[in-house]
Amino acid sequence: MEILAKSAFLFYCLIIGAGAVMAVMSKSLVRALVGLIAVMIALAGMYLLLAAPFIAFMQILIYVGGVSVLIFFAIMLSKASAEGDETGSVSLGRAVNALLCLLVPAVIFSVVIIYHPVTTRDAPLDVSPALLGEGMLGPYLLPFELISVVLFAAMAGAVLAAWRKRGQK
Amino acid sequence: MTDLMLFQLVGVFLFSVGIAGLVRRKTLVGMLIALELMINGAGLSIVAAAQLTSGDAVKGQLAALFVMGLAAAEATLLLAIILVAVRRLKSSGTDGVFHMRG
Repeated sequence: MEILAKSAFLFYCLIIGAGAVMAVMSKSLVRALVGLIAVMIALAGMYLLLAAPFIAFMQILIYVGGVSVLIFFAIMLSKASAEGDETGSVSLGRAVNALLCLLVPAVIFSVVIIYHPVTTRDAPLDVSPALLGEGMLGPYLLPFELISVVLFAAMAGAVLAAWRKRGQK
Repeated sequence: MTDLMLFQLVGVFLFSVGIAGLVRRKTLVGMLIALELMINGAGLSIVAAAQLTSGDAVKGQLAALFVMGLAAAEATLLLAIILVAVRRLKSSGTDGVFHMRG
């Protein structure tokens, strides 16, 4: 069973690595989006490995079902060409900056994670969705309601910002 | 190497690749995709810490759910902002967006 979990983890890691590189390096934005979706689905698998099935379903529902469609709309509406707007070489300065931005947090966080281990549980805890619901409607009622207000404000703001007056081109 | 470390390292990988993409991309939509990578890495890190340490697991999972809700709200707003920027500047490149004046 241990070997099965390890191999599943490795499999998801491979998908995440390939998808992340594709999402960042791909010339075509649609291909980049496909890489992002692969990462999101593999992350749902990781949540299942962590014994958090509710989060895994929410990951698929919100990210794969919602956010990726929004990004696809953004690609469509910004009139991205089929060959990709990211064609043409990236300037050297920008590439060096990107490499630095990759290395600095990666090295710092990795060192912190590896050299300062925290005491861990042997097996992840199984939290039922009922407990999550009680938490949302109990001690965390205010943040839960605030999220709905934030979502409403974001939707209203998006409509207001993208509103086109009649007659205006 | 504990299990928690492995999950955290995957989260750090996603975050770092996302931040590199944020710097490297030339279009606003490409930056949005890289940003989603970063948020996903943070979510994995939160859930791993909630499930595998002695902290409150319910609290951690709720935090991950809130992160997802905020990411959805942020993607909606960014879609509108990209739309306005494309309409005004006739391109979705990042090099055209220099000032905030309308």
